[in-house]
Amino acid sequence: MNDFAELLNDLILSPSRKKKIDLLKNFFCKSNIKDKGWAFCILTNRMDRKFVSVKELKELIIENSDEDLFRFSYDYVGDLAETISLLWESNNEKNTKINLHEFMEIFSNFDHKNKLKTKLKYFLDRSSENQRYTIIKILTGGLRVGVSNGLIKEALKLSGVREKSEIEEFWHGFKLPCTDLFEWLDGKELPKYINRKKLFNSFMLANNYNSNEFKSYKTDDYIAEFKWDGIRAQIIFSEDGKIFSRNGEDITNSFCDINTFIKGYFVVDGEIVVKKNNKVLSFNHLQKRIGRKNPSKKLIEDYPIHFIAYDILFYTSVDCRALSLIERKKYLNRFINICKFSNISTSSLIKFSSWDQLQNIKETSLNNHIEGVIIKKKTSLYKKGRVVDGWYKWKRNPFSVDFIIMYAQRGHGKRSSFYSDFTFGCWIDEQFTKLVPVGKAYSGYTNDELKSLDRWVRNNTVERFGPVRSLKPGLVVEVSFDNINYSSRHKSGVALRFPRFSRIRWDKPISQVCSLKYIKDLIN
Amino acid sequence: MRKTNINWLKKKREGLYCVPGNFFIDPVFPVEKALITHAHTDHARPNNKSIFSSKETIELMHLRYGESYCSDFQIARFDEKIKINDVTVQIHPAGHILGSIQFLINYNGYRLLISGDYKRTKDKTCLSYEPLECDTFITEATFGLPIFNHPNDQDEVKKLIKSIKANVNKTHLVGVYALGKCQRLITLLRDLGYDETIYLHGALTKISDFYSKNNIKLGNISNISECSRSEYANKLVLCPPSSLNDKWSQKFKNVVKGYASGWMRIRQRVKQKNIELPLILSDHADWGEILKTVNDVNPNEVLVTHGREEALVHYLTKKNFKSSALNLIGFEDENE
Repeated sequence: MNDFAELLNDLILSPSRKKKIDLLKNFFCKSNIKDKGWAFCILTNRMDRKFVSVKELKELIIENSDEDLFRFSYDYVGDLAETISLLWESNNEKNTKINLHEFMEIFSNFDHKNKLKTKLKYFLDRSSENQRYTIIKILTGGLRVGVSNGLIKEALKLSGVREKSEIEEFWHGFKLPCTDLFEWLDGKELPKYINRKKLFNSFMLANNYNSNEFKSYKTDDYIAEFKWDGIRAQIIFSEDGKIFSRNGEDITNSFCDINTFIKGYFVVDGEIVVKKNNKVLSFNHLQKRIGRKNPSKKLIEDYPIHFIAYDILFYTSVDCRALSLIERKKYLNRFINICKFSNISTSSLIKFSSWDQLQNIKETSLNNHIEGVIIKKKTSLYKKGRVVDGWYKWKRNPFSVDFIIMYAQRGHGKRSSFYSDFTFGCWIDEQFTKLVPVGKAYSGYTNDELKSLDRWVRNNTVERFGPVRSLKPGLVVEVSFDNINYSSRHKSGVALRFPRFSRIRWDKPISQVCSLKYIKDLIN
Repeated sequence: MRKTNINWLKKKREGLYCVPGNFFIDPVFPVEKALITHAHTDHARPNNKSIFSSKETIELMHLRYGESYCSDFQIARFDEKIKINDVTVQIHPAGHILGSIQFLINYNGYRLLISGDYKRTKDKTCLSYEPLECDTFITEATFGLPIFNHPNDQDEVKKLIKSIKANVNKTHLVGVYALGKCQRLITLLRDLGYDETIYLHGALTKISDFYSKNNIKLGNISNISECSRSEYANKLVLCPPSSLNDKWSQKFKNVVKGYASGWMRIRQRVKQKNIELPLILSDHADWGEILKTVNDVNPNEVLVTHGREEALVHYLTKKNFKSSALNLIGFEDENE
């Protein structure tokens, strides 16, 4: 346990990628194989559940310290695990010598829910500050120690006999507690339960479009498609089909109205959207379906799912990833002709003969459910991640509106000492006397701007409610957002998609900010 | 203007004002007469007409602001009671940095103790804090949250020595405040047997020389400009925190960046500042020390200033001390 706690601490503090890889490699080389397996599961977030809820943790710390002092401290630190680990009074019990895998086995097999807090207290009492932090991070999930999967793959390559491409191929196959992964890395055979045809394949991603770069490129070498505002998905069509999200999560049950059953093996890349009466609906409608594990019949009828396919990775035994985009499109069309599912279609190509023309199409013909266009090189192969000379996204210009800052909240993690989360609003009507909150933004400013904003918040606070400060109306910010829609969830009646600061208008008087009516008019 | 519970102490724009003494304590703007607790720039500002403080503090202010920053200054001595208008003032060590003092102000038999910044941990570079009984106690709350529990200072400095030994070809660049932290870190290193030359950023040399002149043994220290680039490896270099990430620090190619500060207790602060080697070393009282001090001085009333006042006021009130926040402005919240 202590080795792992030290590893996490070192990873957090190490600035360089190389050093992090070294730390991981050393850990994977020297540790017990069971500890390695669990460490891997924790670092790659493979745990299927949280062992302890935030609520239980808060109860535990309040039982063991002062509620208000906890509140003040948490507000200040901005990280629950860190707050508790610092606040916990060690009662001079000897530190536990428990191994990581022993600890993990205790908690994964723990089924006396009512004794969980007692068990956790037992370990917290017998741990150093650093160990307490580690324990809480493990049990609540989501480490955030700045270790990407790519980094771990690199470390695995260095600590075994497998090539990076092999590790990539089977990465998603290994199951908790992943001891067999390390046996395989040492040269043993793959575990029997891994069936390559059931595994998620890494997505190809798009780079940002750069108009200067593209000036010299011939439009003939590229195709363009609409960028639909849905969720990216990979569907394995087979007798035991599956749907995966962008990060490889199995979302088959949420979208059970897509038929994945077919003889053979086909892996298709595309976008899930809601489509009704032949019209694709906005992302807001799709949101009703996201995260619902067992959607009701009514929900499925109200928000029917459609899959817009734009690429194919496997066509039975053909690994299409090694073929050019044009070849893949042919295979994709063949597949669509075979499967004949009514709610699956191919993404249509945009006809264009110059980049200017494409830009024009992008800005004029688009509506609510299209984010922009994707440009793809005809000869490009299907490769993992953002590949140079592959795919490019060209988003349409965002909306941009001036708002007034109303509330501020301390940030978390790296920004824990700053007021970095802002609620902004506009005038409720043309009287220009009352404000209504419209959205929340926590990005788009530079570090220096954040410092100035933080200072402004501290000097213009009217009231404090816990970590939230209510502010004197006085500061105007220009907010950009990708889209806007009606929403019954918000007091203002509208919801903005991905709002972020684009400029801070220190000079602009609040009387020049618009009213809610103007915002609503943007929707159509 | 908010009234404190003793009616002869007032908060003014310039800072805390003692009415019967007609002076300010650590004023933010220039005044006629100022009592200065210590020479950190947020407490000791230039251009007051007349200053009353310890010999070291006055000399440090000379060093920082030049000879003409103040026309009249009066050196306070530990064994004296000085009458200033209708009050008598005594000074006592605060244990914060060289020359740091507390003021015990007596008016008609009522005792007000202003502690300035203080700590209870032993520090070879200054006199130790002396608790004094009083009626109203003004305490700082820089680390006024129970999460702040400063670890043993030697253990922290051992981390630095260990890292220097483990990374032979690297330069260790450690951020320290020029006045106090820098010299304390050096004396701790010397106590633990580190006797290599310690290199200083130009901004740290003047004050370190002043410490040496005051018989605080810092061993071999040298300005980094006297070290050639080819010799940077395996050296320990101290610099102001602001220099850790500026152009100056780019001349060191293979570095481990450290920072000696009480804020290093919090991981996310360490991350924010891109620090690889955090050294939790503070010249302020931590939560436990503040509570111990309140118990030692046993006042009727505690006034809390700069830092995390709310939590401390809340806790002291719960423990049946009359307590409130002073809410003075102008003191840097995040600095030590």
